[in-house]
Amino acid sequence: MKLKKILKIITAYLADAVIILYLITSLFSEHNGSVVIPASAVYIIAIILLVKNIILIIIHKYKFLDKIAVILNILAEFKKGNFLHQENNNQRNDEMSNIITELSVIGKYIDNIIIRFKDEIQILRELYNNIIFSISSYLIILNKKKKIIFANDAFCKKFQFDLDDIYGKTIDDIFLFVADSLQNSVIDIYKYKESIILEKTHLLSRNWISVIADIKISNMFVQGEEQIVLIMDDITSKCRKDYQINLISQVTGSIQRDEEIHKILYTILYGITSGAGLGFNRAMLLLLDPHKKYLKGEIAVGPDSIEEAIEIWNSLPAAGSDIAIIASPFDITNGKGSRLLEKVLSAKFELSSDNIFAKSFKTLENIHIYDSWNDRSVDDNIRNFMDVTEFVVVPLIVENRAIGVIVADNKYNQVPIGNDHIELLSIFAVQASLLIESYQSVSTLKKEMAKIKSRQEAMIESEKLAALGRISSHIAHEIRNPLVTMGGYARRINQMAEGNEKIQHAAEVILKESIRLENTLSNVMDLTKPQALMKNLNNINDIITDTLGLLKNVFLDKRIFIETKLSNKIPLIHLDSNQIKQVVLNLIQNAVDAIPENGKIEVISGVNSQNNGIFITIKDTGTGVERDNLENIFEPFFTTKVTGVGLGLPIVQRIIKDHNGDITVKNNDTGGAEFTITLPYVSS
Amino acid sequence: MNRILIVEDEQNQRELYATELEEEGYEVHQAHNGEVAVKMVTSNKYDLVILDIRMPEMDGIEALGKILSREKKLPIIIYTAYSNYKSNFMTWTANAYLTKSSDLTELKETVKKIISSKSR
Repeated sequence: MKLKKILKIITAYLADAVIILYLITSLFSEHNGSVVIPASAVYIIAIILLVKNIILIIIHKYKFLDKIAVILNILAEFKKGNFLHQENNNQRNDEMSNIITELSVIGKYIDNIIIRFKDEIQILRELYNNIIFSISSYLIILNKKKKIIFANDAFCKKFQFDLDDIYGKTIDDIFLFVADSLQNSVIDIYKYKESIILEKTHLLSRNWISVIADIKISNMFVQGEEQIVLIMDDITSKCRKDYQINLISQVTGSIQRDEEIHKILYTILYGITSGAGLGFNRAMLLLLDPHKKYLKGEIAVGPDSIEEAIEIWNSLPAAGSDIAIIASPFDITNGKGSRLLEKVLSAKFELSSDNIFAKSFKTLENIHIYDSWNDRSVDDNIRNFMDVTEFVVVPLIVENRAIGVIVADNKYNQVPIGNDHIELLSIFAVQASLLIESYQSVSTLKKEMAKIKSRQEAMIESEKLAALGRISSHIAHEIRNPLVTMGGYARRINQMAEGNEKIQHAAEVILKESIRLENTLSNVMDLTKPQALMKNLNNINDIITDTLGLLKNVFLDKRIFIETKLSNKIPLIHLDSNQIKQVVLNLIQNAVDAIPENGKIEVISGVNSQNNGIFITIKDTGTGVERDNLENIFEPFFTTKVTGVGLGLPIVQRIIKDHNGDITVKNNDTGGAEFTITLPYVSS
Repeated sequence: MNRILIVEDEQNQRELYATELEEEGYEVHQAHNGEVAVKMVTSNKYDLVILDIRMPEMDGIEALGKILSREKKLPIIIYTAYSNYKSNFMTWTANAYLTKSSDLTELKETVKKIISSKSR
């Protein structure tokens, strides 16, 4: 090869050399005269040769530049990181080619190195990707304009986004609902040096995917650019479990507290719908009406619009751990959902008709409607009533019979109703059923108890009255005997002392008092055997004045101040004056016994506020009635007096009852007792 | 003169009734319990017996039965401080049942009515 090349070079230049040699010898041989060549031809040939050589040089020069361009090209490829290039087939054994060849070798060498590093980089990248992608957490990165520049697979999968779709969007663009706390944290993150962790935050995407997550928000700087990293740990299912357990214990707790049925039912429905993103959006309870003809709306919980829903979600912790804060149903809702409640309360669904509620009720089965608009089993009535695509009906079952249904849906976030949701609903349906049932049996029981109690009381009362009859007749006998003797002799004295007015008057007093006592005795007897009342038109004020007159000496003796406020507008009413006198007397006598010396008794009469009768009030400044005794005070033989028999007030009550009136007792402001009698204008 | 027997354990009362009825013009005998009264009714002739119920030894109800078994047509007024003996059927056999009162007018009128109807 080399020899060939040398020969080639030699032949190329040898021809030139021979020609030039010949020309030179020709020039000199002119003088010898042997060979003559014109000088001009020599010059021409010389020029031709020169041109030829110049051309050759230019060609060579061109070839050299060509090589340089190749080198430059290779170097440019190197710069690009492309270290392998197509080797030029044009094998030429010149220096340039060697250089190019060398460069190729270097390129290959570098390429090898790079390939080796590439693998390592690839491994690192894969490792990195594995970390990013295999973590179940959702990861998104925002640039300083709060636009999404990266989201990991978990995030995209969960929310069913394509990274390309969400690239460059804000959180608001992709989420329908984001808790205020998250919004604010993203805006303010640069103020904090450390990451912010938001627990149990509710997220609802534009495509209706709802998640509860612990969100870690941190600030990071990449090549001087501020970026925000959001790592979301999905705790939805954990929260749901917590929430369910919590809810069950809450509801059970409220049942044990024996709260009002409505409140507990509300708690149940509230529970089903609480916990933004966990529960249902709306829940309604329909119960069988007493005539068993239709299902009637009983209670409902849920917002009336998406705005209300968002407001509620924002105001509640997502996990629904605070359902115990329910004080009163209507405190919480702040009027939200009032339209729903109103609608449900006025709703009735005939059991005889073939509607879906009645069906669930009759078959005792959960019914899940996926598309109410197209489902033929849903009639127009219910379709309009629900006004939602998907809903679920769960019967309330007690001992194999239904007592109502719970209907629930996700009208506002349109989250598909999963089996776990229905399961939860069933649990509460059972709770609610038991609750309603036990409440109903308890109230029946209570009614029965009340009946028994009133019967028992009546029996005790009649027993008491029988005993009262026996005892009172005995007492009456013991008193009446000496009484009639006294009275009889007083009468005699009165007759015998004709002409002596002083004696006659004294005898009359004895006589009058004994007659009164005899009347009292009769009344005592009357407790067991009421006599026909001797009713006449009477002025109650006269009766009061008469009675007070009888006791004048007692008042003087005990220095008791009597104050009367008798209304002059009192009409005459039908009553037995002797008996009413007895009443007033008994009450005033009690007052006298109750107050110390220098006490005060107030007697007031007037027309009662309903203007259908009159009242008499007797107040004293005594010690009043002990609270425990207020109930017993009208019971026969109940007395707090040392010398009392305990018949005064029962007699009073009996008389007032016979007049179709009423008597009440209380302790007034001064601490003394206050009795008020009311008597109707017309007493049959 | 019509003869009346007053059966009453309380002496003061008994004497009061006696005085008042004597003033009305009756001959009045007194017995302080049922036993005495039964004896007196058998040994004497009376136009009327005024009988108390509650008495020691023999009460009025027992005496009532014994008197009536001897003198079937003897008028008897039960005069008692008990008002509830009216329900005891024995007292129904008496001609009248009066509750004691300091005012003897009712008693006197009943006595007068019974005696006058008897003498007719």
